[in-house]
Amino acid sequence: MQIMKKSLALLLFSVLAVSTIVASGQNESTSDEPTTVSVWTLFTETMDDANAVAFRKALESAKTDLPGIVIEHDATENEAYKTKIKTAMAADDAPDVFFAWGAGFVKPFIDAGKVVALDKYLTDGTADRIKGGANTNFIFGGDTYGLTFSQWVASLYCNKELFDAYNVKIPDTYDELLTAVKVLNENGVIPITVGEKDKWPGMFWQNAFAIKTAGADMSNSALAGNDSFNTPDFTESAKLLSDLVAAGGFVEGALGLDYNEGGALFLEGQAAMYYMGNWFAGDIASHESGIIDHVVVKRFPTIADGKGDLNQFLGGSIDGLCVSEMSKNKETAATVAKYLMEQVSRNLAVAGEGLPTWKTDDIVSEKTNPIISQIKDLIADSTGYVLAWDTFLSGADADDHKNYVAELFGQTITPAEFATKMQEMNE
Amino acid sequence: MNKVLSDKKVIFLFMFPAALIFIFIVIVPIIRSGYYSSLKWDGIGDGKFIGFENYIKLLIENKNSFYQAIKNSIFLAVFSVFIQLPIAFLFARILASGVKGEGFFRTVYFIPVIVSTVVIGQMWLKIYNPQYGLLNILLENIGLGSSRQQWLGNKDIALGAVFIPLLWQYVGYHILLFYAAIKTIPQELIEAAKIDGATQGRITLSIVIPYIIPIMEICVILAVIGSLKTFDLIYILTRGGPLHSTEVPTTIMFNTIFHRMSYGYGSAMAIFIIVECLILTVAIKKIFNRFNFTTKGDL
Repeated sequence: MQIMKKSLALLLFSVLAVSTIVASGQNESTSDEPTTVSVWTLFTETMDDANAVAFRKALESAKTDLPGIVIEHDATENEAYKTKIKTAMAADDAPDVFFAWGAGFVKPFIDAGKVVALDKYLTDGTADRIKGGANTNFIFGGDTYGLTFSQWVASLYCNKELFDAYNVKIPDTYDELLTAVKVLNENGVIPITVGEKDKWPGMFWQNAFAIKTAGADMSNSALAGNDSFNTPDFTESAKLLSDLVAAGGFVEGALGLDYNEGGALFLEGQAAMYYMGNWFAGDIASHESGIIDHVVVKRFPTIADGKGDLNQFLGGSIDGLCVSEMSKNKETAATVAKYLMEQVSRNLAVAGEGLPTWKTDDIVSEKTNPIISQIKDLIADSTGYVLAWDTFLSGADADDHKNYVAELFGQTITPAEFATKMQEMNE
Repeated sequence: MNKVLSDKKVIFLFMFPAALIFIFIVIVPIIRSGYYSSLKWDGIGDGKFIGFENYIKLLIENKNSFYQAIKNSIFLAVFSVFIQLPIAFLFARILASGVKGEGFFRTVYFIPVIVSTVVIGQMWLKIYNPQYGLLNILLENIGLGSSRQQWLGNKDIALGAVFIPLLWQYVGYHILLFYAAIKTIPQELIEAAKIDGATQGRITLSIVIPYIIPIMEICVILAVIGSLKTFDLIYILTRGGPLHSTEVPTTIMFNTIFHRMSYGYGSAMAIFIIVECLILTVAIKKIFNRFNFTTKGDL
């Protein structure tokens, strides 16, 4: 009896051991036809913005256009994605192709040698199909490390219905903005919504004010460390935001609302204004409340004696795909990245959305998003762009900058302190 | 003699795999974190050895307002021990004394413990939402409209607002521990006391509480350690905001490593948290040893 029990136990143990070893070994792919390329992005299934929709279409068409390649797409929400990709990079566990913001976000990865330079994969005619300057934010040391699909630009979305209801003019200037805020507050309407819990939606406001007070060139120069942040113009940009907060311009409890909740207030018609990127036009178009009929797109309010001009915008082409140095099939991964980016760009053009960075003049749009048409008109004569500051800056600096702007929202920092603290980054 | 010898080998054999797993999954990473904490490193490039500089920056210079975060986590620990545990004990005492629906309530109270923290966080986010959240709507409907607050958006009350779901989530866990402990009390003792005319209150004070002091010790340690390490619920509700009013060491650590790309500095925070937990565990055990007369036979 004892012997039988012992041998049974031994048998069971060996079965357990063997199956564990076999199970862990099964991760290696069998070496026959389809190559698997893993792609990580932030385009989750439930996202309705223009870019996400265009990306899903591109994944679909890849199944027929790229035979022999199986794309495994993994999507995570924006903020969580930032953490996920950084962790994966640190653990050398990165996917073949991954979404990244250029400039400050992707720079640490490139410095650590974990991103593939794509120039040699673009010489097959791909480079000719990309618009000039599209990938500038992914060029480091003369090499191109990522491909973009669209330009983004921020504009002020205004709900005309709410403005008309209280007989208030949609603002063109800062003073008109303050008037509008006053009237809207008196009538119980949220003047401006912002999801400041995520910190970057509110940061857009300060960055945009800086374009108006200091101009795009000075902003870019200060960000690059070539000029000081501690100037009256940048202090003014902080003051304008601070005054707007003090005047009750923003939704109460903005610091507790995340990006989705902030945007929802505009989509539901409870807030009159929202300053956000052009991807939001997709959300507006697909929202059931029919809000698209009431939305007017405006430039950011101008300042009387600011140095920026009407045709400078917050935006740039900074969203793109990169190929990881860890990839086992770099050439296939590069092919996938090129294909997806070009397709997303074209899909956006077909849907009349986005601002494609690939040449899409041959495309006839199936439909137009009136919001995007308005945005395209606004930027038709653009003379300068400034990236969102937290994408230009790296790591701790980006985090500090967002914290300082949040402090402006919470009124725990003065504009002068803001400028001084920002300048500390350049020292 | 044979049996004793073979017993030891068998003991070693059975302990060995578990010990191995413990060493590789717990001890080795801690040692590696200790090594990383002596580096200036962004997690993906090369690190530079800087010795104890990270700790000096953290604890002496108080960069990133780490002191405030430690204070917050200690507040939470205190509230856990002095509010959450008494409530849990009260519920367990009532449940264990045979009310109707004992099994049902036991299950219901335990549900928050097993529901994913993310789900709980999302639920409370919706309750606390200033525009359409349950709490503000409720206050308005019962006439307390003036008490409407930006629960998670106001830096002065966000910490309090965050504590409530935190304490609520694990009350069920402690209820279960206390309940199990109370159930082991020999019924004869209770009955004898009742015959002698003791009230429920007297029974609780003189019989139940002394009897379950070992379990109390475990609950206190779990509550304190859990509070010092708490992360997920706070991260979901406020990310440590607004304006850092709800930061705890773990949220600062998370932000430092992943958003500020300072892996070495973040590792120093991690080691600090581990050491803090160890010290407090030892302290709590010492305090309880002085009260624990059941094992010393002083009864």
